[in-house]
Amino acid sequence: MLAGFFMLTSCGSALQVSDDGGKISALDGLERVIELKQPAQRIVSLSPSVTETLYAIGAGGQVVGRDSFSNYPAEALQVQDVGGSMGGYSYETIASLQPDLVIAGEINTPEQVKALEDLGLKVFYLSNPVKLDSISVMITSVGILTGRDKEAKALNASLEKRIKAVTDLAATAADRPLVFYELDGSGPGNPWTPGPGTFLSELIAAAGGVNAGDALQSAWAQISSEQLLVQDPDIILLGDSIYGMTVEQVAARAGWSGLTAVQENRIYPFNDDLVSRPGPRLVDGLEELARLLHPELYE
Amino acid sequence: MKKRGLLNPFGISVLLLLAAVVLSVVVGSVTIPLRTLADVLFRGLQGGLSTLDPGGVYLKIIMQLRLPHAILILLVGAALAGSGAAYQGLFRNPLADPFLIGVSSGAGLGAVLAMLIDWPYAPLGLMVIPLAAFLGAALAVLAVSLLARVGKTVPTTNLILAGVAVSSFASAVTSGLMINSSGELRRALVWLLGGATRAGWEPVLAILPFMVIGLTGLVLVGHPLNVLQFGEEQAQQLGIRVQRVKWITVLLATISTAAAVAFAGIIGFVGLVVPHIMRLLYGGDYRRLIPLSILGGGAMLLLMDVAARTVMAPQEVPVGIITSLFGAPFFLWVLKRSKSQNYW
Repeated sequence: MLAGFFMLTSCGSALQVSDDGGKISALDGLERVIELKQPAQRIVSLSPSVTETLYAIGAGGQVVGRDSFSNYPAEALQVQDVGGSMGGYSYETIASLQPDLVIAGEINTPEQVKALEDLGLKVFYLSNPVKLDSISVMITSVGILTGRDKEAKALNASLEKRIKAVTDLAATAADRPLVFYELDGSGPGNPWTPGPGTFLSELIAAAGGVNAGDALQSAWAQISSEQLLVQDPDIILLGDSIYGMTVEQVAARAGWSGLTAVQENRIYPFNDDLVSRPGPRLVDGLEELARLLHPELYE
Repeated sequence: MKKRGLLNPFGISVLLLLAAVVLSVVVGSVTIPLRTLADVLFRGLQGGLSTLDPGGVYLKIIMQLRLPHAILILLVGAALAGSGAAYQGLFRNPLADPFLIGVSSGAGLGAVLAMLIDWPYAPLGLMVIPLAAFLGAALAVLAVSLLARVGKTVPTTNLILAGVAVSSFASAVTSGLMINSSGELRRALVWLLGGATRAGWEPVLAILPFMVIGLTGLVLVGHPLNVLQFGEEQAQQLGIRVQRVKWITVLLATISTAAAVAFAGIIGFVGLVVPHIMRLLYGGDYRRLIPLSILGGGAMLLLMDVAARTVMAPQEVPVGIITSLFGAPFFLWVLKRSKSQNYW
């Protein structure tokens, strides 16, 4: 019985949503069928990617609560904060908002989902998309849950078009620069970087580059300075610039002055929120990456 | 010496504990005016809804969130402080705390191991992690006890040293697993920082039997622990079966702290400091010290938890951070104020 279950979860991350005659029933990421009598009108979002998706499909007015990390778009900041930055949500604040739907993300633990359900709330657990082309599945689900199917469809079409524009252009590039993306360089001897199989790895490839972290084993890993000197990246992107890392600090690191990226001044701060949240802004991140990797194509 | 009425150490501790429970139910990120709260509770007890709370939201917040949470925190604080007091007596060491011989690192390893697997979203699946934490804690203490054994006795020094070694080893494995995993890291961190992520009555019911057995037992070992303060040989001559007292105390402390850690994560400092505060205030007789620590531990952790839920509301700070942040200065203040040169 257990074995059968594991098969289900390992392949069951895709979402299925159906909408017949006003009633909505949807299969969520925890393999449960969630039923709504009508599209959700009072939504609490527990993750930034969900919040950004809700606003992107015009459902922002239906959001009554959001987690502390949800800082985009600016209107979301006006909505009641329900906690979450240190792992704990204020369940009583969520209950007091009387939401008709709580959308949880992979950032949430099953224990948190259970705690909310015990309060009699409807919780939809939204699995993260794992590939660029599966964001559309997530957007479609959120669209159906909120009665914004048409907007979701339009958003998907425009995102698809923008992704195609970038990849088509990248295919014409003469070279594929080696990119080192720094997630956290507070220990400059071995900074954290995205490894193979991550969204960042896929985005850098789609933007016409090669991710230096692909040489590592784990999805999120520390790369040694030595390894970096051997690989000699052409471009360094500072995802940790939002935490205060600067181009000057990186250029001044011991042994880094010989790197091609440092000598050619190709170190750029990068808005990590664009690429760390699996929502519609990933495409903004992709376009930004493409412009930094291949400025010659965007002149 | 003995004061009458409520103004004895036990009376004061019980009153403080009750006050802490009330405060814990009254205070939260959602403000419920006292009059509303009283009306909601009064109507709720009669099975109805208050007119001030037509949607029943306040009743839900009080009965399904605040009250079970307060009781869980009370039990956890009581278990940690009671076990800490008993361990300080057993090891005759002022630095002894309930995590001394491996409970926390064993529980951490058990929990993180269980988190590596995707359990089904079902009542049983949600019990796996607390269960694994409990078993991890129990197994770590068992391993420490067996490793420390010399012939038929367990020398106290060996127990402490084996505890340190097993703890380090288990923590290293835990950190290694966490670094190598990707998704579960956050869940593990929340748990290790003492974030009680489960809400409602289930955790309370799950740990209640262990607490009742563990805490009742700990209160009863007060007398042998008193005698043990003369030294193991002396105690043996005075008719105390020292090895048996050791095993029983370790067993009782382990089941209560393991149950606490399973649902509340690792909460530091309470188990170390509350027994010392009680000792400074009321002396070192273990027959009184252990029950007073149990009452005081419950009250102190409840107050810390109220702080944890309100300082950054609606953020909830893991209570483990608050216990050390506020507990350490408070303890130093008590220590400074105490007149006795050598209270231990």
